[in-house]
Amino acid sequence: MGYNIFHNLYFQKEDSNVAEAMIVCCHECDELVKVSNPHREGRFKCPNCGSLLFRHRKGMVEKMFALSLAAAILFMLTNYFPFLSFQVAGSTAEANFVTSIVYLFQKHEWLLGVAVLMTTVVIPFIRIVLMLGLFGPLYFGYLPHYATVALKVLTHSLPWAMLDVFLVGVFVSMVKLVKMGTIIPGTSLWAFMVMVFVMAYMQVTFNAHAVWDMVDTKRKQRGLV
Amino acid sequence: MRAIDAGLTSCHLCHQIIKLPEGRKGGVLHCPRCGEAVHVRKPFSIQYTWALVIASIIFYIPANLLPMMEVHTFAGTQADTILSGVLYFLETGSYLIASVIFIASIVVPITKLIILIYLLLSVQKHSHKNPIQRKKLYVLTEIIGKWSMVDVYVVAIMIALVHFGGLTQIEAGAGATYFLLVVIVTMIAAMQFDPKLIWDAAETTPKKETTYARNA
Repeated sequence: MGYNIFHNLYFQKEDSNVAEAMIVCCHECDELVKVSNPHREGRFKCPNCGSLLFRHRKGMVEKMFALSLAAAILFMLTNYFPFLSFQVAGSTAEANFVTSIVYLFQKHEWLLGVAVLMTTVVIPFIRIVLMLGLFGPLYFGYLPHYATVALKVLTHSLPWAMLDVFLVGVFVSMVKLVKMGTIIPGTSLWAFMVMVFVMAYMQVTFNAHAVWDMVDTKRKQRGLV
Repeated sequence: MRAIDAGLTSCHLCHQIIKLPEGRKGGVLHCPRCGEAVHVRKPFSIQYTWALVIASIIFYIPANLLPMMEVHTFAGTQADTILSGVLYFLETGSYLIASVIFIASIVVPITKLIILIYLLLSVQKHSHKNPIQRKKLYVLTEIIGKWSMVDVYVVAIMIALVHFGGLTQIEAGAGATYFLLVVIVTMIAAMQFDPKLIWDAAETTPKKETTYARNA
């Protein structure tokens, strides 16, 4: 906590109760909203339409760094260990996360394979790497030069990461398959379930406004604005 | 006060507030902070959304008529559409699974399309009724959008897990492809719609100068 200069820059205001007002434009209704105390914890809502402007929580950088590390480890576990084993009359089929998607390609289910690969492996992987690449350096006190690109990709890729939907799909197909044979959940499934919750918590904690503020601060320091 | 009335706009990506240059003709404005193209309103929002909504309605017909999944066993081939799959689970007593598939593959896409058509029509009629409720409907379409992928994932998992040397094989039917397209196209349609258009028609009377954010 001590190393982080941006943390101090961003959070000292709160500690010394110096409220610095800022103006936010509501994304849903175009209302200009004055936020007189943006460093207070909690959710800020548009007074006109009631949609969420942003959410501010203490220690966002630390939490995000910890969560993205956890997500990266869980991602590796998910893709290394077998996901589900399925037994019917003595013969066993074991499915790994990535090998089962490769199997889809082998069966020429191209569109299905690409959709599953992108939404459950590639995009979550990119998001985890970018979160780690963004909040790792921030935790140790400097803003990486690729922060703008990282934030852009993170914003654009958000709707296409569908790990939570995939988890529901796994449960549904497990109930379907239980009638045909025995299902043995692998280590990977447990790691995957935890990863879904870690990613959801990350999404709630992530405050892009705060990181954009840090980008602004850096630009001002370098005399670009 | 609304940003457009103040001669301002905000970057849709990084929320930076940008002053609109006066008397500008043509050309694209770029955000000084993140470099994204800035539009006061999403360009051709209504046209694009209509086109994508109509496309997904067309895709939704074969998605329901063609089989999602074909199960090949030594006893023969069994093909299931979305609705016959739901009925099968109802008959066998798995009410939870039946309701999950029914909600994800039938209720969610239809609700999304109805909401988008309603929003498009109300914006085109310059309706100023219930803007807050309509905004809530729009947020709902964005949230529920991806949940119809459940059925596509179920098909993919079944194919990947059930293969025992030619005895039992599962193949994706053409319905799965069309259904996947429905999900993707409706998601893009919801992204193309600009919720600020709801307020452009609704806000006719100027309000007080500044409003303050509610802090909960």
